[in-house]
Amino acid sequence: MDPFLAFLEGSDLSMWIRGDSMLAFPTIITLHTICMGFLAGASSAIDLRILGAAPGIPLASLRPFYPLMWLAFAINAVTGVLMVIGYPTKQLTNPLFYIKLFLVALGVWLVYRIGREVLRATESGEKTMTAETKWLAAASLAGWVSLIIAGRLLEYTHRWELLGIPALT
Amino acid sequence: MDEIAPWEQFVRGTALHHFVYLNEPWLWPTCEIIHYLGLSLLLGTVGLFDLRVLGIAKGIPPATIHRLVPWGVGGYILNVLTGILFFSGHPDQYVYNNAGRLKALLMAIAGINILVFYGSTAFPEMKKLPAGADAPMRIKVIAGTSLAIWVGVLICGRMLTWYRPPFFH
Repeated sequence: MDPFLAFLEGSDLSMWIRGDSMLAFPTIITLHTICMGFLAGASSAIDLRILGAAPGIPLASLRPFYPLMWLAFAINAVTGVLMVIGYPTKQLTNPLFYIKLFLVALGVWLVYRIGREVLRATESGEKTMTAETKWLAAASLAGWVSLIIAGRLLEYTHRWELLGIPALT
Repeated sequence: MDEIAPWEQFVRGTALHHFVYLNEPWLWPTCEIIHYLGLSLLLGTVGLFDLRVLGIAKGIPPATIHRLVPWGVGGYILNVLTGILFFSGHPDQYVYNNAGRLKALLMAIAGINILVFYGSTAFPEMKKLPAGADAPMRIKVIAGTSLAIWVGVLICGRMLTWYRPPFFH
Protein backbone atom coordinates (compact mmCIF):
# COMPACT_ATOMS: atom_id res chain seq x y z
CA MET A 1 0.00 0.00 0.00
CA ASP A 2 1.13 3.52 -0.78
CA PRO A 3 2.88 4.99 2.30
CA PHE A 4 1.06 8.32 1.99
CA LEU A 5 -2.34 6.63 1.86
CA ALA A 6 -1.32 4.43 4.80
CA PHE A 7 -0.25 7.53 6.75
CA LEU A 8 -3.58 9.27 6.05
CA GLU A 9 -5.62 6.19 6.83
CA GLY A 10 -3.80 5.62 10.13
CA SER A 11 -4.18 9.21 11.36
CA ASP A 12 -6.39 9.99 14.35
CA LEU A 13 -8.57 12.29 12.21
CA SER A 14 -9.12 9.58 9.60
CA MET A 15 -10.03 7.01 12.24
CA TRP A 16 -12.41 9.46 13.91
CA ILE A 17 -14.14 10.16 10.57
CA ARG A 18 -14.57 6.41 9.93
CA GLY A 19 -15.59 5.78 13.54
CA ASP A 20 -18.92 5.40 15.27
CA SER A 21 -19.59 9.09 16.04
CA MET A 22 -22.74 10.42 14.40
CA LEU A 23 -20.91 13.78 14.28
CA ALA A 24 -18.26 12.23 12.04
CA PHE A 25 -19.04 10.64 8.67
CA PRO A 26 -22.88 10.81 8.86
CA THR A 27 -22.84 14.56 9.60
CA ILE A 28 -20.07 15.28 7.10
CA ILE A 29 -21.80 13.52 4.20
CA THR A 30 -25.18 15.06 5.10
CA LEU A 31 -23.70 18.59 5.02
CA HIS A 32 -22.02 17.68 1.71
CA THR A 33 -25.39 16.59 0.27
CA ILE A 34 -27.33 19.65 1.50
CA CYS A 35 -24.76 22.05 0.05
CA MET A 36 -24.51 20.01 -3.16
CA GLY A 37 -28.27 20.27 -3.57
CA PHE A 38 -28.27 24.00 -2.92
CA LEU A 39 -25.20 24.87 -5.03
CA ALA A 40 -26.04 22.65 -8.01
CA GLY A 41 -29.74 23.53 -7.69
CA ALA A 42 -29.41 27.30 -7.35
CA SER A 43 -26.77 27.45 -10.08
CA SER A 44 -29.03 25.37 -12.37
CA ALA A 45 -31.99 27.65 -11.58
CA ILE A 46 -29.90 30.65 -12.69
CA ASP A 47 -28.83 28.69 -15.80
CA LEU A 48 -32.49 28.00 -16.60
CA ARG A 49 -33.26 31.72 -16.21
CA ILE A 50 -30.45 32.59 -18.63
CA LEU A 51 -31.76 29.98 -21.09
CA GLY A 52 -35.22 31.54 -21.01
CA ALA A 53 -37.18 30.15 -18.04
CA ALA A 54 -38.90 32.65 -15.72
CA PRO A 55 -37.92 35.61 -17.95
CA GLY A 56 -39.42 38.12 -15.51
CA ILE A 57 -36.61 37.65 -12.98
CA PRO A 58 -34.29 40.70 -13.26
CA LEU A 59 -30.86 39.08 -13.73
CA ALA A 60 -28.93 41.58 -11.65
CA SER A 61 -31.28 40.97 -8.73
CA LEU A 62 -30.01 37.38 -8.46
CA ARG A 63 -26.73 38.79 -7.10
CA PRO A 64 -27.49 38.23 -3.36
CA PHE A 65 -27.70 34.46 -3.93
CA TYR A 66 -24.03 34.27 -4.93
CA PRO A 67 -22.54 34.60 -1.42
CA LEU A 68 -24.80 31.71 -0.32
CA MET A 69 -23.64 29.60 -3.25
CA TRP A 70 -19.99 30.33 -2.42
CA LEU A 71 -20.66 29.41 1.21
CA ALA A 72 -22.16 26.09 0.05
CA PHE A 73 -19.07 25.49 -2.08
CA ALA A 74 -16.74 26.28 0.84
CA ILE A 75 -18.60 23.79 3.08
CA ASN A 76 -18.38 21.17 0.34
CA ALA A 77 -14.67 21.72 -0.15
CA VAL A 78 -14.09 21.19 3.59
CA THR A 79 -16.45 18.21 3.94
CA GLY A 80 -15.05 16.73 0.71
CA VAL A 81 -11.48 16.90 2.02
CA LEU A 82 -12.62 15.34 5.32
CA MET A 83 -14.22 12.41 3.46
CA VAL A 84 -11.00 11.88 1.46
CA ILE A 85 -9.07 11.84 4.77
CA GLY A 86 -11.57 9.29 6.11
CA TYR A 87 -11.32 6.97 3.11
CA PRO A 88 -8.13 7.98 1.21
CA THR A 89 -7.51 4.68 -0.59
CA LYS A 90 -11.13 4.28 -1.61
CA GLN A 91 -11.21 7.76 -3.15
CA LEU A 92 -7.70 8.40 -4.42
CA THR A 93 -7.25 5.06 -6.23
CA ASN A 94 -10.54 5.40 -8.12
CA PRO A 95 -10.16 7.12 -11.52
CA LEU A 96 -13.74 8.34 -11.18
CA PHE A 97 -12.66 10.48 -8.21
CA TYR A 98 -10.41 12.54 -10.49
CA ILE A 99 -13.20 12.91 -13.05
CA LYS A 100 -15.42 14.20 -10.24
CA LEU A 101 -12.68 16.61 -9.13
CA PHE A 102 -12.40 17.94 -12.68
CA LEU A 103 -16.20 18.38 -12.84
CA VAL A 104 -16.13 20.29 -9.52
CA ALA A 105 -13.49 22.64 -10.96
CA LEU A 106 -15.55 23.08 -14.14
CA GLY A 107 -18.77 23.70 -12.20
CA VAL A 108 -17.20 26.25 -9.89
CA TRP A 109 -15.45 28.04 -12.75
CA LEU A 110 -18.80 28.28 -14.57
CA VAL A 111 -20.51 29.66 -11.42
CA TYR A 112 -17.81 32.35 -11.36
CA ARG A 113 -18.06 33.11 -15.11
CA ILE A 114 -21.87 33.18 -15.16
CA GLY A 115 -21.84 35.19 -11.93
CA ARG A 116 -19.76 37.86 -13.66
CA GLU A 117 -22.33 38.07 -16.47
CA VAL A 118 -25.14 38.31 -13.91
CA LEU A 119 -23.27 41.00 -11.98
CA ARG A 120 -22.71 42.91 -15.19
CA ALA A 121 -26.38 42.77 -16.12
CA THR A 122 -28.31 45.97 -15.64
CA GLU A 123 -32.03 46.53 -15.45
CA SER A 124 -32.28 45.88 -19.18
CA GLY A 125 -30.29 42.71 -18.55
CA GLU A 126 -31.44 40.87 -21.63
CA LYS A 127 -28.87 42.62 -23.81
CA THR A 128 -25.98 41.04 -21.95
CA MET A 129 -27.38 37.54 -22.52
CA THR A 130 -25.20 36.80 -25.50
CA ALA A 131 -25.04 33.43 -27.21
CA GLU A 132 -21.83 32.86 -25.29
CA THR A 133 -23.57 33.29 -21.92
CA LYS A 134 -26.25 30.85 -23.01
CA TRP A 135 -23.60 28.30 -23.92
CA LEU A 136 -22.01 28.79 -20.50
CA ALA A 137 -25.40 28.19 -18.86
CA ALA A 138 -25.98 25.03 -20.91
CA ALA A 139 -22.47 23.79 -20.04
CA SER A 140 -23.14 24.52 -16.38
CA LEU A 141 -26.35 22.43 -16.43
CA ALA A 142 -24.56 19.55 -18.15
CA GLY A 143 -21.69 19.90 -15.69
CA TRP A 144 -23.91 19.60 -12.61
CA VAL A 145 -25.70 16.56 -14.02
CA SER A 146 -22.34 14.89 -14.77
CA LEU A 147 -20.98 15.82 -11.35
CA ILE A 148 -23.95 14.28 -9.54
CA ILE A 149 -23.67 11.11 -11.66
CA ALA A 150 -19.94 10.87 -10.84
CA GLY A 151 -20.53 11.56 -7.13
CA ARG A 152 -23.18 8.86 -6.80
CA LEU A 153 -21.18 6.33 -8.82
CA LEU A 154 -18.12 6.81 -6.57
CA GLU A 155 -20.01 4.86 -3.95
CA TYR A 156 -20.90 2.02 -6.32
CA THR A 157 -17.65 1.76 -8.26
CA HIS A 158 -15.95 1.16 -4.92
CA ARG A 159 -18.39 -1.65 -4.17
CA TRP A 160 -17.85 -3.10 -7.66
CA GLU A 161 -14.07 -2.86 -7.13
CA LEU A 162 -14.46 -4.96 -4.00
CA LEU A 163 -16.26 -7.53 -6.15
CA GLY A 164 -13.33 -7.55 -8.57
CA ILE A 165 -15.10 -5.52 -11.25
CA PRO A 166 -12.85 -2.70 -12.51
CA ALA A 167 -14.14 0.77 -11.60
CA LEU A 168 -14.05 1.98 -15.17
CA THR A 169 -14.34 -0.36 -18.06
CA MET B 1 -37.53 -10.72 12.84
CA ASP B 2 -39.84 -13.68 13.29
CA GLU B 3 -42.49 -13.15 10.70
CA ILE B 4 -43.10 -10.71 7.88
CA ALA B 5 -46.02 -8.35 8.48
CA PRO B 6 -48.97 -8.60 6.03
CA TRP B 7 -48.31 -5.17 4.49
CA GLU B 8 -44.71 -6.18 3.78
CA GLN B 9 -45.80 -9.51 2.30
CA PHE B 10 -48.11 -7.53 0.04
CA VAL B 11 -45.32 -5.17 -1.12
CA ARG B 12 -42.97 -8.11 -1.67
CA GLY B 13 -45.65 -9.83 -3.75
CA THR B 14 -45.99 -6.99 -6.27
CA ALA B 15 -44.54 -7.12 -9.77
CA LEU B 16 -42.72 -3.85 -9.01
CA HIS B 17 -40.87 -5.47 -6.09
CA HIS B 18 -39.68 -8.30 -8.34
CA PHE B 19 -38.64 -5.87 -11.06
CA VAL B 20 -36.53 -3.86 -8.58
CA TYR B 21 -35.16 -7.00 -6.94
CA LEU B 22 -34.06 -8.58 -10.22
CA ASN B 23 -32.56 -5.40 -11.67
CA GLU B 24 -31.08 -3.95 -8.51
CA PRO B 25 -27.37 -3.81 -9.58
CA TRP B 26 -28.03 -1.24 -12.32
CA LEU B 27 -31.47 0.06 -11.30
CA TRP B 28 -30.60 1.16 -7.77
CA PRO B 29 -27.59 3.37 -8.70
CA THR B 30 -29.56 4.80 -11.64
CA CYS B 31 -32.48 5.69 -9.37
CA GLU B 32 -30.14 7.23 -6.79
CA ILE B 33 -28.62 9.45 -9.48
CA ILE B 34 -32.11 10.57 -10.56
CA HIS B 35 -33.10 11.07 -6.90
CA TYR B 36 -30.12 13.40 -6.36
CA LEU B 37 -30.81 15.33 -9.57
CA GLY B 38 -34.41 15.74 -8.43
CA LEU B 39 -33.51 16.93 -4.95
CA SER B 40 -31.09 19.49 -6.40
CA LEU B 41 -33.76 20.81 -8.74
CA LEU B 42 -36.25 21.05 -5.85
CA LEU B 43 -33.83 22.66 -3.41
CA GLY B 44 -32.46 25.05 -6.05
CA THR B 45 -35.76 26.39 -7.35
CA VAL B 46 -38.17 26.20 -4.40
CA GLY B 47 -35.25 27.11 -2.11
CA LEU B 48 -34.49 30.32 -4.04
CA PHE B 49 -38.19 31.28 -4.00
CA ASP B 50 -38.34 30.65 -0.22
CA LEU B 51 -35.18 32.70 0.33
CA ARG B 52 -36.61 35.61 -1.69
CA VAL B 53 -39.81 35.57 0.39
CA LEU B 54 -37.68 35.47 3.54
CA GLY B 55 -35.94 38.67 2.43
CA ILE B 56 -32.80 37.68 0.48
CA ALA B 57 -32.59 39.18 -3.03
CA LYS B 58 -35.56 41.51 -2.49
CA GLY B 59 -34.94 43.04 -5.92
CA ILE B 60 -36.76 40.04 -7.41
CA PRO B 61 -40.57 40.34 -7.60
CA PRO B 62 -41.66 37.07 -5.87
CA ALA B 63 -44.12 36.18 -8.65
CA THR B 64 -41.30 36.12 -11.22
CA ILE B 65 -39.08 33.72 -9.26
CA HIS B 66 -42.16 31.63 -8.48
CA ARG B 67 -42.13 30.72 -12.18
CA LEU B 68 -39.14 28.47 -11.38
CA VAL B 69 -41.28 26.40 -8.97
CA PRO B 70 -42.68 24.07 -11.72
CA TRP B 71 -39.06 22.92 -12.27
CA GLY B 72 -38.92 22.04 -8.59
CA VAL B 73 -42.22 20.17 -8.90
CA GLY B 74 -40.62 18.23 -11.76
CA GLY B 75 -37.72 17.35 -9.46
CA TYR B 76 -40.17 16.32 -6.76
CA ILE B 77 -42.03 14.00 -9.18
CA LEU B 78 -38.70 12.36 -10.16
CA ASN B 79 -38.06 11.78 -6.45
CA VAL B 80 -41.50 10.34 -5.76
CA LEU B 81 -41.14 7.91 -8.68
CA THR B 82 -37.62 6.79 -7.68
CA GLY B 83 -38.74 6.73 -4.03
CA ILE B 84 -41.55 4.30 -4.92
CA LEU B 85 -38.97 2.02 -6.59
CA PHE B 86 -36.68 2.15 -3.52
CA PHE B 87 -39.60 1.38 -1.23
CA SER B 88 -40.85 -1.48 -3.40
CA GLY B 89 -37.39 -3.04 -3.44
CA HIS B 90 -36.68 -2.95 0.30
CA PRO B 91 -39.81 -1.77 2.16
CA ASP B 92 -38.60 -2.93 5.60
CA GLN B 93 -35.51 -0.72 5.57
CA TYR B 94 -37.70 2.40 5.37
CA VAL B 95 -40.63 1.45 7.61
CA TYR B 96 -38.66 -0.07 10.49
CA ASN B 97 -36.41 2.96 10.49
CA ASN B 98 -36.89 6.09 12.61
CA ALA B 99 -35.20 8.25 9.97
CA GLY B 100 -37.62 6.86 7.37
CA ARG B 101 -40.62 7.50 9.61
CA LEU B 102 -39.51 11.06 10.36
CA LYS B 103 -38.95 11.63 6.64
CA ALA B 104 -42.54 10.54 5.90
CA LEU B 105 -43.84 12.81 8.67
CA LEU B 106 -41.87 15.80 7.37
CA MET B 107 -43.15 15.18 3.84
CA ALA B 108 -46.71 15.15 5.16
CA ILE B 109 -46.07 18.50 6.90
CA ALA B 110 -44.58 19.84 3.65
CA GLY B 111 -47.79 18.79 1.89
CA ILE B 112 -49.95 20.62 4.44
CA ASN B 113 -47.69 23.67 4.13
CA ILE B 114 -48.16 23.64 0.35
CA LEU B 115 -51.96 23.36 0.75
CA VAL B 116 -51.94 26.29 3.19
CA PHE B 117 -49.87 28.39 0.79
CA TYR B 118 -51.85 27.77 -2.39
CA GLY B 119 -55.22 27.33 -0.70
CA SER B 120 -55.19 30.55 1.32
CA THR B 121 -54.90 34.20 0.38
CA ALA B 122 -51.11 33.91 0.87
CA PHE B 123 -50.57 32.93 -2.78
CA PRO B 124 -52.48 35.81 -4.45
CA GLU B 125 -50.98 38.18 -1.87
CA MET B 126 -47.47 36.97 -2.75
CA LYS B 127 -48.16 37.49 -6.46
CA LYS B 128 -48.93 41.17 -5.86
CA LEU B 129 -45.62 41.89 -4.08
CA PRO B 130 -43.43 44.16 -6.21
CA ALA B 131 -39.63 44.21 -6.39
CA GLY B 132 -38.13 45.45 -3.13
CA ALA B 133 -41.21 44.60 -1.05
CA ASP B 134 -40.93 42.82 2.27
CA ALA B 135 -43.30 39.83 2.44
CA PRO B 136 -45.92 39.74 5.25
CA MET B 137 -44.86 37.63 8.24
CA ARG B 138 -47.52 34.99 7.47
CA ILE B 139 -46.01 34.26 4.04
CA LYS B 140 -42.50 34.31 5.52
CA VAL B 141 -43.51 31.62 8.01
CA ILE B 142 -44.77 29.42 5.14
CA ALA B 143 -41.53 29.97 3.15
CA GLY B 144 -39.36 29.34 6.21
CA THR B 145 -41.30 26.15 6.96
CA SER B 146 -40.84 24.98 3.37
CA LEU B 147 -37.09 25.57 3.43
CA ALA B 148 -36.60 23.92 6.84
CA ILE B 149 -38.79 20.92 5.93
CA TRP B 150 -37.02 20.15 2.64
CA VAL B 151 -33.61 20.36 4.30
CA GLY B 152 -35.01 18.11 7.05
CA VAL B 153 -36.28 15.61 4.48
CA LEU B 154 -32.80 15.53 2.92
CA ILE B 155 -31.16 14.99 6.33
CA CYS B 156 -33.56 12.12 7.10
CA GLY B 157 -32.85 10.60 3.68
CA ARG B 158 -29.14 10.59 4.39
CA MET B 159 -29.69 9.24 7.90
CA LEU B 160 -31.64 6.19 6.64
CA THR B 161 -28.35 4.29 6.34
CA TRP B 162 -27.52 4.68 10.03
CA TYR B 163 -30.97 3.86 11.37
CA ARG B 164 -31.58 0.73 9.34
CA PRO B 165 -33.22 -2.10 11.24
CA PRO B 166 -30.69 -4.69 12.47
CA PHE B 167 -32.31 -7.49 10.46
CA PHE B 168 -31.88 -5.63 7.18
CA HIS B 169 -29.36 -7.24 4.85
